[in-house]
Amino acid sequence: MDEHTHNTGDRRELMMARSMCWHCQSEMAGEYFCDRCVKVQPVSKDLDYFSCFGLPRRLVIDTNVLETKFYELSRAFHPDFYQNKSDAEQTISLGNSAMLNTAYRTLRDPIQRAEYLLDLEAGAVKDIRTTPPADLFEEILELQDTLDEFRGSDRASAQASTLRTKLHADRTALEQRQREMEAQLLQLFGRWDALQDRGEVTEEARAERNQLLKNMRSILSNRTYVKNIVNDLVETIA
Amino acid sequence: MAYSEKVVDHFNNPRNMGSFKKEEDGVGTGIVGAPECGDVMKLQIKVQNDTIVDAKFKTFGCGSAIASSSLATEWLKGKTVEEAGKIKNTDIVQELNLPPVKIHCSVLAEDAIKAALADYQKKADSK
Repeated sequence: MDEHTHNTGDRRELMMARSMCWHCQSEMAGEYFCDRCVKVQPVSKDLDYFSCFGLPRRLVIDTNVLETKFYELSRAFHPDFYQNKSDAEQTISLGNSAMLNTAYRTLRDPIQRAEYLLDLEAGAVKDIRTTPPADLFEEILELQDTLDEFRGSDRASAQASTLRTKLHADRTALEQRQREMEAQLLQLFGRWDALQDRGEVTEEARAERNQLLKNMRSILSNRTYVKNIVNDLVETIA
Repeated sequence: MAYSEKVVDHFNNPRNMGSFKKEEDGVGTGIVGAPECGDVMKLQIKVQNDTIVDAKFKTFGCGSAIASSSLATEWLKGKTVEEAGKIKNTDIVQELNLPPVKIHCSVLAEDAIKAALADYQKKADSK
């Protein structure tokens, strides 16, 4: 609850930044439309994607709410409805629609949502270099070796067929690993959200926050690594 | 963006490509990677009487990563373990004229050297 009031506080600040209607210069009270002259307002560049949809900054979100709000705002900003309006309003409608689409695409996918939130929250931990487990690199090095051998082999040969079988097994193992990392991530997402819900400002809470951010960042980047290698593998043996 | 002449040279004629047996006496192995670009690098040293007598590498990655590790093996040979620990990624950047976007390749090479040295030390200590 604490966190929630905090969020609305943030949003008010953001709106204050563009407190005047670009058209009638009156004080802005509405969210995306001026109360007085009903003109569409540009979505502030400082507004994060979560606030854009009125969602709490969490890793697990209600995607139904996201979708409903997306459709609602899409209709409100859609360029088709601005064809007879002024150039300024058409430009705003285009800009807002583009921003809205990016925001929706980002938040819809749990991985992209996490990466986005991490970028928002990371701050100091952004530059901490994470060290992926050495065994992952060994696995990938071996796999690259086999891939190399396979690329250089005569596809019709018995050797190629042995390599192909091995690569298929490697693929299964890596995909399994990717799933494990995704499960780990989900667990961390839950812990992160719970920490946000508690809204504590203690030293321990800060340490836990940083540790969670670091762990999530590290798993996310390893997952991307594995995913890219799997794609590479699939392409080669296809 | 073009690669510098030195990078191209190392890429076309990589020095010391290959590997030693990990279990072999005096061999230290460092395997590092960069998830962001998908590179993976293996660097090995062979140490006798505290001096690196041979070094080998195997890198799957971009030209700069290959050149960085190739150069690293060249530099490692003949150095003592202590001297080897002093090789900095900035030295590699300078020698190869790496552009800012490729600096992480040299960092990877430095990490690989450190990992290989640590592995050698660990093996030596456990004896």
